[in-house]
Amino acid sequence: MTDFNLLSRRRSFFYVFVSIVALVYFFRLVQLQVVYEDEYGKRSDENSLRAVVRSPLRGYIYDRNGTLIVDNRPSYTVTVTPAEFDRSRLGYLAEILSADTALIQGRIDRGRAVNRFAPARVMRDVDFPTLAFLEEHRDRLPGVEYLVESKRFYPTKARAAHLFGYTTEVSDAQVQAMPDEYKSGDLIGATGLESKYERFLRGKKGYSFITVNARGESQGQYNGGLSDIAVTEGDDLYLNIDAGLQAVAESLMADKRGAVVAIDPATGGVLAIVSKPDYDLSLLGGVTPADLWTQLNSDPAKPLFNRATMTRYPPGSTVKMMLAAAALEDHVVSPSWGVNCTGVFQFGRRPFRDLHVHGNTGFVQSIQKSCNVFYYQLMLKVGLERWNRYGKMFGFGSPTGIDILEENSGLLPSAGYFDRVYGKGKWTQGYLVSLAIGQGEMGVSPLQMASYAGAIASRGYWHTPTVVGRIRVKESGTWIDNTVQTRRIEVGDDVWRIIREGMDRCVNSEGGTASLARVPGIRVAGKTGTAQNSRVKDHAWFVGFAPVDDPKIAIAVLVENSGYGGTHAAPIASRCIEQFLTGTITPRIIYSPPVAASDSSGEAH
Amino acid sequence: MDTLFSGGMGRQSRPAGLGAMDIKERFAFLDPVIPVCVMLLVLIGIASVYSATYDAGASQYFNRQVIWASAGFLLMVAIWLLPFRTLQMISYPAYALSIVMLLAVLVAGKTVAGTRSWFGIGGFGLQPSEFVKVTTLMALASYLSYRHLDRGRFSELATTFGIVLLPFGLIVLQPDMGTAVIFLGALFMILVWAGAPVFLLLSIAAPAAAAVATLFNTTVFLFVISSTLVLLFVMRSNRLLSSMVFSLTVLVGVSVQYLFNQLAPYQQKRILTFLNPDADPLGAGYNVIQSKIAIGSGGIFGKGFLHGTQTQLNFIPAQWTDFIYCVPSEEFGFAGAFLVLALLTAVLLRGVQIASTVKSRFGSLLAIGIVSVLTIHVIINIGMVMGIMPVIGVPLPFMSYGGSSLLTSMIMAGILLNLHRNRKEY
Repeated sequence: MTDFNLLSRRRSFFYVFVSIVALVYFFRLVQLQVVYEDEYGKRSDENSLRAVVRSPLRGYIYDRNGTLIVDNRPSYTVTVTPAEFDRSRLGYLAEILSADTALIQGRIDRGRAVNRFAPARVMRDVDFPTLAFLEEHRDRLPGVEYLVESKRFYPTKARAAHLFGYTTEVSDAQVQAMPDEYKSGDLIGATGLESKYERFLRGKKGYSFITVNARGESQGQYNGGLSDIAVTEGDDLYLNIDAGLQAVAESLMADKRGAVVAIDPATGGVLAIVSKPDYDLSLLGGVTPADLWTQLNSDPAKPLFNRATMTRYPPGSTVKMMLAAAALEDHVVSPSWGVNCTGVFQFGRRPFRDLHVHGNTGFVQSIQKSCNVFYYQLMLKVGLERWNRYGKMFGFGSPTGIDILEENSGLLPSAGYFDRVYGKGKWTQGYLVSLAIGQGEMGVSPLQMASYAGAIASRGYWHTPTVVGRIRVKESGTWIDNTVQTRRIEVGDDVWRIIREGMDRCVNSEGGTASLARVPGIRVAGKTGTAQNSRVKDHAWFVGFAPVDDPKIAIAVLVENSGYGGTHAAPIASRCIEQFLTGTITPRIIYSPPVAASDSSGEAH
Repeated sequence: MDTLFSGGMGRQSRPAGLGAMDIKERFAFLDPVIPVCVMLLVLIGIASVYSATYDAGASQYFNRQVIWASAGFLLMVAIWLLPFRTLQMISYPAYALSIVMLLAVLVAGKTVAGTRSWFGIGGFGLQPSEFVKVTTLMALASYLSYRHLDRGRFSELATTFGIVLLPFGLIVLQPDMGTAVIFLGALFMILVWAGAPVFLLLSIAAPAAAAVATLFNTTVFLFVISSTLVLLFVMRSNRLLSSMVFSLTVLVGVSVQYLFNQLAPYQQKRILTFLNPDADPLGAGYNVIQSKIAIGSGGIFGKGFLHGTQTQLNFIPAQWTDFIYCVPSEEFGFAGAFLVLALLTAVLLRGVQIASTVKSRFGSLLAIGIVSVLTIHVIINIGMVMGIMPVIGVPLPFMSYGGSSLLTSMIMAGILLNLHRNRKEY
């Protein structure tokens, strides 16, 4: 080295260069490890911590006697982790699962969009042979796993499809609305109690925190499991339903279209609620095959339609007690008022017929024998306004408020309604005559009719019908009692006595229309009705309660397109009442309907 | 001891009560800084490999690294004790041998991760491109030891470049971009040290700067071009040469842009990912994001040995090789990361000090060559791990897992010690 200055300059250059690099890196370290420590620390935690969701079992459902009626059974769900899945095996997987390739593809893609490292459910309720086949071939199907989940199981004969309802996978919109409660692929109640009581039944998810490596493989519990959040099972529902009665009512309606609703007159608790035809809930456990949906939706018998709460048929003669109560309570006529029934009532130029010539008829006989002429005349005295007011008191024209989602309010015509439909002054008193015997515009559901029967049975206590009696809250171990809302119908005891006497005789006396509602050893009161139909057969109604002296059950039966209420609905009510009160049904002659008996439509029984 | 140094590291390691003369006597044959720093770095490196590959016990990687470190230590001592002339005498033969090995590896080597740079010998792999770094530095030092580039002889310049470009070309063919970049950087720094004219340095640096700048954006490219123009104007050198350099700069910039457009999209992506690693968190930018998280989450005192979640849960692929710096940074935090950076800086500064003390020109050039190679390794490796340099695969000297790399680093340390021992020889 000859030139000292040169050496000195070069040496300085290298010192400065190395020092600057060291300083820059030093400050970068300070920036990463001191300034942004918290942020990187958080990202590091998120990196290696995985929350494994522990899905709670849905709450169990018991009947009023504590019988388990909706249970959970293990079910195998095949999952695919999108990041690990080999796309070329898609067809192979679909073939094993005997599913549509596009369906599997869609589910994997949806999972990928959420988190490609998390298993996405591709098929629920896979049978064991399929699962075993998948296990054997797992080396050819990377990323394909299975989960043990639960599915609903219905251990009793009570199908109660419309009541229990089914679950479906949550929609994307639902996940967005309730991101804490639901993740894509979870089940949510879609109909019936499963839907209405979803927030109780679903329980609370638990989380186990595990540490994972870069491949997402578990490296064991985080913090020894101390940070885990325990799963809370779904709350149990204890229904007012009587499973035995429900099953019997379903079997009695098996080959019919219609509905049966039975309630406890003292509380409004729903003892049975049947809609037929129905469908098999066990086929709708989570993912419903598309062809089954198509079949259910296109079935002309409308099995998905809940006839117990959604129908809106005229009540027929069953509504007569309401008109009688209005007339007697408001002293429109005296209790001894009567008509001489000649079998026809001439109103203006139009004759309104009766089925029989009843002769001199008072209130009790009018109910017992279902005299139309009596009510034609009474209606004209009572008037539409009062009739409508009493109709409301008995719960017609508005939803009952039952704890099932779907309910039709029905229709209780008023002057305003007629004005709206026909125009002011363009409808006549003649319209009222039809309403008097429960025909025409009025529309009711079997549920409303059961509540109506319950109100008569309890002498004026109208209760909101409730399916769920109590809820057992799993987290706290406490009980929640369902609130019962009761409305007093201001009708005097002397009036109730007359009406109930008529209903008692309707069943138990000679000439009553509901003699087929009798139960050996139990005194039943009731009233039949036949709702007119213009083209097809009439709908048969029966409302009643038993035992007469201390009613424990009020019931409404509707059998669509069958004929007379006394012939088709009353026998069903009879057996339901016997089943509920005695636990058995004694064999008795089953009435076979006379040929062409229902042809003389026009008037109701 | 040199005055420059005694103001730095030496004073800190000096025990109280000893006079300056005692120190000089005691360390006349052995430089104290380099062995201490190198052994500490190697030990930290071994611990880091142990942690990064820990799986309920020591891994094969750890066992091998211990064997290599032991061999490296023996090599370092052996080279330290070599007679002064030996290094210069074996320069050309060693260079020739290593070039033959590079050729052989291209023909018969194993392909690892897309790069044909390995020989399999027994259970161990050997990477000639690592050893070539040393032999090329030796050959270059040997050649330049009796030539002066400031005379501007074309044949001398051409030979100088040729010595580096031959192994450079062979390594590019493997292809191993990281090592190739190190050759070019080291050549530039040696030229600075050898007293090459500033004009010559500019004519190398300007096109290289233009090549990198063009990958960023047009503004940066234009800035480099105009800076070059200003510098050339200020130097008032030969106009013809000046305009040639300027043309070369523009041409390189434009052709790099053209070549970039010719690259396959994944290759382009790899380059662009450096500019913004977060744009591709699951692809090419993944490693850098994860290594930044590892370093940043280490905080000031770290998560504890074997308790770094990023390290233990394998979030950084093949962390024990190029991303080894994450391990001390995560598990011992800023304290650990700073210690490693300080030890490396100490070795480099001490190397510069040796290069400026050694009397022989060969020794001085060789020492600065070694410092240059090590410096560029550190800049690229730690800069990459901290997310301020592109992801170019170069190992961290003394620490990264890998026999060839570790042995080469320790050979270089041994050479520095040898040069220091013989610093008074001409």
